[in-house]
Amino acid sequence: MTLQPEDFWSYSEWLLRPDAFLQSAILQGIVLAILAVLIGLIIGYLLAAARKGPSEGFYSVARVVRDLFVFDLPGTSPARVYALGRLAFKEAIRRRVLIVAGIFVVGLLFAGWYLNPNSDDPARLYISFVLTATNYLILMLALFISAFSLPADIQNRTLYTIVTKPVRATEIVLGRVLGFVAVGTCLLVPMGVASYFFVTRGLQHDHAGIEEIEKVPDSSGQGFVYVGKTTYDRNHFHTFTLFEDEEGNLEGVTNIARGHQHIITRKQGSDDYVIERPLPLTARVPAYGDLYFLDRTGQRTESGIDAGYEQRKGGYGSAGLERLIGRTSEAKRIEFGYVEGGSLGAGIFTFPNVTEAKYVEDIPLQLNLRAYRAHKGKIDRKLRGTITLRNPDSGAVTNARTFEVNEYQVDDYRIPLVLPGNDGENNRDLNVFEDLVTDEGTLQIELRCLDRGQYLGMTKGDVFLKPQETSFAWNLTKAYISIWLQMVMVISFGVMFSTFLNGSVAMLMTFVCVLLGFAAEGIYDVRHFIDSNQSMGGGPIESLIRIAKQDAMTTELDVDALTSKVVKGADTAIIYSMDAIATSLPNLPKMLGTAEYAASGFDIFGSLLGRHITTTLAYFLVAFFVSYFCLKTREIAA
Amino acid sequence: METEQITATQEPATPVATDRQVVIETRNLSKIYRDFWGREKVKALKSLDIEVQQGEIFGLLGPNGSGKSTTIKLILGLLFPTSGRVLVFDKDASETRKNERIGYLPEESYLYKFLTAEETLDFYGRLFDMSGEHRKRRVNELIKLVGLEHARHRQLREYSKGMMRRVGLAQALINDPDLIILDEPTTGLDPIATREMKDTILNLREQGKTVLLCSHQLADVQDVCDRVAILHQGELKELGRVSDLLKVQDVTEVHARGLSDDAKQEIAELIKRHGGELKSIDNPTATMEELFLNIVRESEARPGARRLSTAAGSETAAASDGAAKDGDAS
Repeated sequence: MTLQPEDFWSYSEWLLRPDAFLQSAILQGIVLAILAVLIGLIIGYLLAAARKGPSEGFYSVARVVRDLFVFDLPGTSPARVYALGRLAFKEAIRRRVLIVAGIFVVGLLFAGWYLNPNSDDPARLYISFVLTATNYLILMLALFISAFSLPADIQNRTLYTIVTKPVRATEIVLGRVLGFVAVGTCLLVPMGVASYFFVTRGLQHDHAGIEEIEKVPDSSGQGFVYVGKTTYDRNHFHTFTLFEDEEGNLEGVTNIARGHQHIITRKQGSDDYVIERPLPLTARVPAYGDLYFLDRTGQRTESGIDAGYEQRKGGYGSAGLERLIGRTSEAKRIEFGYVEGGSLGAGIFTFPNVTEAKYVEDIPLQLNLRAYRAHKGKIDRKLRGTITLRNPDSGAVTNARTFEVNEYQVDDYRIPLVLPGNDGENNRDLNVFEDLVTDEGTLQIELRCLDRGQYLGMTKGDVFLKPQETSFAWNLTKAYISIWLQMVMVISFGVMFSTFLNGSVAMLMTFVCVLLGFAAEGIYDVRHFIDSNQSMGGGPIESLIRIAKQDAMTTELDVDALTSKVVKGADTAIIYSMDAIATSLPNLPKMLGTAEYAASGFDIFGSLLGRHITTTLAYFLVAFFVSYFCLKTREIAA
Repeated sequence: METEQITATQEPATPVATDRQVVIETRNLSKIYRDFWGREKVKALKSLDIEVQQGEIFGLLGPNGSGKSTTIKLILGLLFPTSGRVLVFDKDASETRKNERIGYLPEESYLYKFLTAEETLDFYGRLFDMSGEHRKRRVNELIKLVGLEHARHRQLREYSKGMMRRVGLAQALINDPDLIILDEPTTGLDPIATREMKDTILNLREQGKTVLLCSHQLADVQDVCDRVAILHQGELKELGRVSDLLKVQDVTEVHARGLSDDAKQEIAELIKRHGGELKSIDNPTATMEELFLNIVRESEARPGARRLSTAAGSETAAASDGAAKDGDAS
């Protein structure tokens, strides 16, 4: 999982974007809301004017707006909303929607057969499986129950008996949405619990025993440790080192294999080694620092060496409105910066808020680096780098510690609180908090590559401290909250479309909205290529021509100049309008992305969840008002 | 000899409405149905002007497609007028707040089939923001009123048509409305249920409520309505008091009991002498409704086979007797 710059934004940074207000969520929200209101009023007026004439049409639109604020919003009664919500809930339950939860559980029972037992990281496989399955199942269900209910009520005329009671349109919409959300929640909770047990139980296993064990002298040369490996079970084994305590008991932890560890103990005087169940899953809470580089001459630069095809992966990302007016074309995607081995080049991470309270025993550092071999070197040996801790104020620096790079997996290091080094004048043991952390609480960590002519790649998100861990259960809950929010969004849209379309069309429209949300990043990319004049297949028409002619996508379009102009012009218009639509729709894949956090064992950031909650609320409100106007102005009996 | 009785057609007990409050008023009300492209399909209603006054039973009468249902939907705000206005309790029909005082029984009871009678009434009670206790009391009252105590916990999908109508009526009355709008209240009901429905309607008027109903069951309208509007092809053809509309001014009706043939002869001559024209002199027939209700009442009092009147064909009588005997034997 490589985090993008925007993933690091705090909630307020996301909302306000202090340096680039055009990218801010709040601006996007306000503009979208104003646009929605304007478009709504214009369409409403045109329809009313066509029916009643220009002046009468104006009054009728004005009357609806007045009704909303004077009567319907203040008159909305929680009791009626509750009654209508309960009805929608009962309707869904009596239509046996809960069967879906049963299907899910049955699916889980059989899923174990199909999940690859040889996976390197079974936890990731299990977690992403349950989350993806739940997500799509729930969204599909939300789509169905929300889009068909209101049209069915209009068709059966059951709505007649409701709207002839003092029921506001606001209450009908709210009641529906809340009722369906309640149904979805009733499904999600058991699914979440089932998922939790599926993952934790699925990962449980025992090792039959110890394969081999040997008593070897320890690193200090004064004592002994026991080194060995476990039996081969479930397609893996662990190596371990056991330490003897004063009473003669042995205890130790195995290495990480397949993403987990076991504790091994042996009581004094006993011959039996006890291998415990895998340590429970946790979620890492990372603390990120800022990254800058030193080039090969030791000069400070902001980006590392481009090892090829790093910078070109540009694109707009989700730059909010700034993209819509075509202002930014700077790369929004993160790229790896590389550090050359055997030179003065380095990557320097500055971590804020390193305090004693957070790091009591040691400083856990996690690395997920890329290795780029410019020459073959010793192919059987991993690339090596060094870690140095440094105090930028006093110049104190520790001795470099060598490490080997394991690509595509997280290397876990624990930096002790006392390290040999130089305080600027003398060589001595340095205390991290006294000598290396500055008065403002920042700590610098410097990474270099040792192998001459080879390169180490790093990004801001790939080197982090891990001050704490949270429980897997809570992290899974957060992933489920994210699914729940997506469900609320789909339900709001489904209900909105069902206020003026019939059931299947409403479902289709909601589905298209979800699809466009999913395709948003792709659309942004195409627009980026069109804006920056890159030949990458072009828009829909051009792509179609290329498919028909079997042309590669990077070649020039092989048609005459005029046709090319027309096609490209039309494509630009299509892509720009699709971009505008996609920008105004919720970005569901971003929300789906939380599953990746949970699967990678990262704590889902609170700010990320906060952003999702805000977005969901905003879209819910827009959908609510649109639904209100549609329901209010339509003839129920027509 | 019995005294002679001269009867005019039954006169409702209500006084003439002059200074009473107007509950529903339509002004130049028109409705044109259009298709998707805005082209005119049907002129369902043309410039309707009616006033319904407080405390009366007002009937909208007309054949299918005459605009009765359209009028009712316009009054309820389920449709919007193409031109003209509807005022209900002096409020525009599109206002939701007027519904606080309205009860509506739709043409067919459009109720949620997955709810039980009790849940249905409780649900509609909640829509009026009634407190829990008040709601519970009202639900019990209404279930009793419409006689569904035995079926209160059954889902409506299991109900017969008549039972559905009763639940529908109960939900229309849940808020103790001042104006009750009934769309074809007696359609599809058996004669007993029809009688009960009519009694309920008359009872509502006694409580001072206003009732607007539309129907094409002429007999029902005649029995209960104070005033009727007759619609045809979307136009108002006649409007007035039922008694006035139906009174035949130049015919006199005499009902008498125990007259001999001679006496009848004498009366006929008397009429002739006074220059009148004798149209018929005959034994009156009871209405089918009366006959049916008598039979049912009798059957409830004394269950079992009933001896058929001699007027019936002897074959059917024998067959029925046989059936009745079988019934007795089993």
